[in-house]
Amino acid sequence: MTRYKKQDPEMTRRRFVNAAMGGAAAVGTLGLVSALGGAKPVLRITPDKAPPRAGDILVHATAAKEGQIIRPSEITDRVIQAWPMGKDQDGNDVIRKAEPNNLVGVQRFRKDSFKVPGEGEHVELKLEGIAEDGIVVYSNKCTHAGCSPENYAKDTSKLFCSCHSGLYDPLQGCKVIGGPPPRAMPQLPIKVEGDRLVVTETFVSAPFGFLNNLDWETYLQRVKEILG
Amino acid sequence: MNQWLDDRLHISRLNDKFLRKAFPVHHSFFLGEITLFSLIVLIITGILLALSYEPSNSPVVNSFDPGTRAEPNMIPAAYHSALKINAMPFGDMLRRIHHWMANIMVAAAVIHMMRVYFTGAFKKPREINWWIGMLLLIFAALTAVTGYILPYDNYAYNTVSVIYAIVKSVPWVGDWLAQAAFAGRFPGEGIIPRIYGYHIMLLPGILLALTGAHMLIMIKQKHTQPQYAKRIAYKKIVGVPLSTQQTPIMLLLVLLFTGLVVLFSAFIPVHPIEHYGPPSAQPISGIKPDWYLLWVFGALAIIPGFELEVLGGIISAEFVGAMVFPGLIIGAMFAVPMLDRAKDNQYYAENPTNHPVRLAAGVAFMAMMIVLSVAGYKVELVQSGLLPEASANTILWILTIGVPLVSYFATLGIVRGIRALREADERDALAHAHADD
Repeated sequence: MTRYKKQDPEMTRRRFVNAAMGGAAAVGTLGLVSALGGAKPVLRITPDKAPPRAGDILVHATAAKEGQIIRPSEITDRVIQAWPMGKDQDGNDVIRKAEPNNLVGVQRFRKDSFKVPGEGEHVELKLEGIAEDGIVVYSNKCTHAGCSPENYAKDTSKLFCSCHSGLYDPLQGCKVIGGPPPRAMPQLPIKVEGDRLVVTETFVSAPFGFLNNLDWETYLQRVKEILG
Repeated sequence: MNQWLDDRLHISRLNDKFLRKAFPVHHSFFLGEITLFSLIVLIITGILLALSYEPSNSPVVNSFDPGTRAEPNMIPAAYHSALKINAMPFGDMLRRIHHWMANIMVAAAVIHMMRVYFTGAFKKPREINWWIGMLLLIFAALTAVTGYILPYDNYAYNTVSVIYAIVKSVPWVGDWLAQAAFAGRFPGEGIIPRIYGYHIMLLPGILLALTGAHMLIMIKQKHTQPQYAKRIAYKKIVGVPLSTQQTPIMLLLVLLFTGLVVLFSAFIPVHPIEHYGPPSAQPISGIKPDWYLLWVFGALAIIPGFELEVLGGIISAEFVGAMVFPGLIIGAMFAVPMLDRAKDNQYYAENPTNHPVRLAAGVAFMAMMIVLSVAGYKVELVQSGLLPEASANTILWILTIGVPLVSYFATLGIVRGIRALREADERDALAHAHADD
């Protein structure tokens, strides 16, 4: 230890170096944060990414028949995967498949077998959104991790997701009756017009990919602003 | 030439400092080397693959099956380039070597860590290297996962959609985080360029930097010495020098196991992208992550579904199962060196049976990982009738907690038995020694 404290009117070398390093670190962190801010691109919604809209027509989603219009006569209780097909600004047909959460499943049951869930079950089933002859459409993305449920082998009236064994009942608004999914897969209300299935309004509640109904409503609002 | 180099680079000092580094003579010390050499082979094969890979998910016409002029067969450019790599001479094999080597690297790293844990080599002064090793393991897994996404076949597409969902499940910031990490809402136009950047630049850079630090600290601190070194020369470094004795052993090792991996790759196909096809709405049933992430998948499979709203954020089963729970497990692994309060430096690898609690805890931990990995096959177990459907979750939960407990106490019992026998032997030997006098 030195006995005398060195009297230095100016900044010591150590303090200068420390201050310089601190300043550089602060500027660097700021730069990194702003660069990270640029990592998230701006939300661009094009017609092929828009959620299903009123007036869309349902077309096949499976690779072999992709883009073919689904006829009411080919629908059974086996789920058929479908995309909504709408029009772009120029009036051309556009399949809305760039947004994978638009995938829906089409099924047909006897109209009187549907059961509207009670108030407390947080599941919506719009009976007027089910076609006259019992054709019903739900989102086909499991609300748990986004896999596509298929008919359950043991009971074909149920939908089963093989990723983490989520089980849904399409007769009761696709509510969850087994496994880990947090929410029902929402209904997509439709009507039959001539020989095609026409969407009457978008999903009744948040499909997979949205945290909750509020998140979903905000997104719909954004879509409306961008696409009109 | 030696003289010429020495005048310029002072090779003789380097020789004294590094090239004479003593390597312990014990086969368990090769595990870290295998991990390192796998990384090198991965980088070489990765560079070769990158030369022919096209990092873009824009749709292009499939040149192998172009369709018609009116309805061209469009597939993502990344998938198309993966098909082209497969069609190259030895292209498919190159992909397989890269894939197998990644698996071997993680496996060797895990066994290397088990060696370090069970012999107490993580103790003071080597805590820092344990932590760097943990980071290496985490980043190796991340690199592997991003590598799965690059061929952009249907398997990759399904995998990345699940990963996106997991990232998005983080409360409050999940949406922003997922969009920032995957270049917009899934699947954005920029997803493949983004993942490509991670897989070939960011993550390998981190891996190489961490590996460098891991090696330098190991050279500085020296290896823990195996037990025989204590008998030969107490508190002296025993082993064979890197140059020239260890080098041929290393070369032999790398050639032998690379040859083995090439043999694997020649006969065992992995990740057949033609079979999975381009990204589509068709889900792949029974899709599973790689073996080293199967335990997370298993935890997700048996966790009951719930959603909790806290201050506007949503805490979901997805978040708890895929983020919080693995976070706890990894946190526990990070904490391992802190559980040891010894003040002295550790020189010698310990006999695991002399530390029964540590041994039993490690065995219980691995038992839990295995049970959770088996839980990842819940759907298959139920379908094959091995588990009743109604109580599958309950049974798997009981096993997840029960099997580690049983293995913990069983290990303690076995170790106690071994020590009792050993002591009895020593008493015997002592009694006979006296009889000889």
